[in-house]
Amino acid sequence: MKRLHFDYTMQIHYSEPVSTCHYTIKCIPPDTDRQRLEKTEITLSAKEDPGRSRDSFGNQILYGRVEGDHTDFSFHIAGDVSVNRTACESKGKEAMLGLFRYPHGLAVPGEELAAYYRTLKLTGSAYEKGAALMHRLYQDYAYEKNVTDIHTTAEEAWRLGRGVCQDYAHIMIALARLEGIPARYVCGMLVGEGYSHAWAELLCENGWYAFDPTNNLVVTDSHIKLGVGRDAGDCEINRGVMHGGGIQTQQISVSVTEKG
Amino acid sequence: MYNYELLEHTDTVNELLARYGVKFGIYKNNTFKEQLFPFDAIPRIIEKQEFAGLEAGLKQRVQALNLFLRDIYSDKKIVKDGVVPEDFIFASSGYMAECEGVIPPKEVCSHISGIDLVQGKDRQWYVLEDNLRVPSGASYPMIAREMCRRSSPSTFENTLLEDNRNYAQLLRRTMDYVNTGGHTVILTPGRYNAAYFEHSYLAEKTGAHLVSGAELKVKEDKLYYVGYDGRLERIGAVYRRISDEYLDPMNFNPESVIGIPHIYDVFRKGNVALINAPGNGVADDKGIYYFVPKMIRYYLDEEPILQNAPTYLPFYKKDMQYVRENFDRLVLKDVAEAGGYGVVFGEKMSKGQKEEFIRLLKREPRRFIAQEVIDFLDIDILDGKQTVPRKADLRAFVLMADEPLVWKSGLTRFSRNPDSFIVNSSQGGGFKDTWVLSQ
Repeated sequence: MKRLHFDYTMQIHYSEPVSTCHYTIKCIPPDTDRQRLEKTEITLSAKEDPGRSRDSFGNQILYGRVEGDHTDFSFHIAGDVSVNRTACESKGKEAMLGLFRYPHGLAVPGEELAAYYRTLKLTGSAYEKGAALMHRLYQDYAYEKNVTDIHTTAEEAWRLGRGVCQDYAHIMIALARLEGIPARYVCGMLVGEGYSHAWAELLCENGWYAFDPTNNLVVTDSHIKLGVGRDAGDCEINRGVMHGGGIQTQQISVSVTEKG
Repeated sequence: MYNYELLEHTDTVNELLARYGVKFGIYKNNTFKEQLFPFDAIPRIIEKQEFAGLEAGLKQRVQALNLFLRDIYSDKKIVKDGVVPEDFIFASSGYMAECEGVIPPKEVCSHISGIDLVQGKDRQWYVLEDNLRVPSGASYPMIAREMCRRSSPSTFENTLLEDNRNYAQLLRRTMDYVNTGGHTVILTPGRYNAAYFEHSYLAEKTGAHLVSGAELKVKEDKLYYVGYDGRLERIGAVYRRISDEYLDPMNFNPESVIGIPHIYDVFRKGNVALINAPGNGVADDKGIYYFVPKMIRYYLDEEPILQNAPTYLPFYKKDMQYVRENFDRLVLKDVAEAGGYGVVFGEKMSKGQKEEFIRLLKREPRRFIAQEVIDFLDIDILDGKQTVPRKADLRAFVLMADEPLVWKSGLTRFSRNPDSFIVNSSQGGGFKDTWVLSQ
């Protein structure tokens, strides 16, 4: 077990006033077998307190609306999380597993990814297959920023041959599902990184193990989980719908540090 | 055979219907066109006894479908017990993960169900389709009956039939049952919506307010109507026909401009009833249709009263074999399509088309169902002064309040074209009133 401190700030500036804005924020680390949220502090630029809820995947939601002309919107969530309390998360509700077995959204494989899958010839336990998949992906896929975006599918990212953590995670999920292993997308934060991160969880013999194919490591004590779902779309950190606003500029700063 | 004085007033009734705006809109090639829905004055008549059988069957079917929806978005026992393969849930376009674990008020999922039936030449009724996403059409026979009474009162003096103008009361009772406190509203995307006439008519008849999305807002986990003076009035139930995907840009398609931001968050907390509940598309999928009789046995431990048309699922090897051997006799339907689209008849395909279709079937077996072509019992329609036989179906309406309620009428749609089996109004058919005799 280890204690981490995190700090997530998002600031949005609009070039023209927004008259009404609706927001949904999924940025609170959930309590799981592996991690526990010990302290949090939430600040929003919205005057009214946000509503709180949970989506079907258990992700915590803050939501609300901001009325009256404004040109800035921001939120700041900070806290302490103890991580690596166990090696894996328990299987969870049986009835939900199908959700992570079927191709969905951005993690749907196409012909080229399926062809790559056939070359993998995975063997062993689900955990061993997961680890092998992660190593192969780390070797066969290149990290490069700004060549893909949040709407890029696993197949598109694979054809391109390079991308970022979201693409690694989608490709890994698509491949694991082809192998019959339930797999889910995780959005979160990583010690030392200045932005959010993404990885994959695979249901292995003892429970859900987290694999970070971008860094080629099995997640232990340096990651904080924020959201989980079938693909990145299920765990969008922030969604906003607004009237007006012109051009938006968004600034995100994330920091995760070890606490003594 | 038809000595109703009413028939002489067909034109008057149609003129009245046009004047009252009985129209439906369709989009074709990106342009909006409003069409009159031609009314045929010869009623479809169903004997009291016969309708009682349909009524029992419809209640049973809709009860099972509601239980199925509750089960699918929670424990999925029917999948666990191997009755419905999980492919038909998780790979279905109507399945919505957002509905997992969400319990609609009073646990009603399908408040308004439209069950499409046809009668075979052997007089046997068959269910062709279940529509659980706020099926439209009840307003047409309602207003047609009203106009017929007005044009030809004498016809109704000597005929003992069930008054169908009570649909509004049944609907009101259904909406009130699930209302979580506050007003009941009928949400319409506006007058360019295909069902605008129906929305405005049902609002008038049920006493619910007709509102657009812009008039509703979410505040502190509740839904409100914003009055012209800015005052907020709590809403407890929303009848809506706008599809799930466009209902709430914060939870579903972010591009939706007709939706109400965060309405689904309010629903998730149990603070508003959405009529019908989101996610119902998983149960009226043509693939799931095959399993409805099994569902009735599974949830209710009863034998199904109503029959499905004989249906084959190419998903199962045995059925695939049957479909290939009997291709020319069957009608094939794409499970993702509705409104009479995506339906092809085996006998009408060329050899090349057949081969291509079978290849498609092998590639995507879950995408299609195959059915025996039912030898419909034709019903008469007026063609000038003559009567001519045409294919027709019956959309029966079942409302789920504290108990299932079957409306003693229904929308009878017929095809104008003598060779066509497709009766959908979006494809140019007309409609009839459905008379259920009371003695």
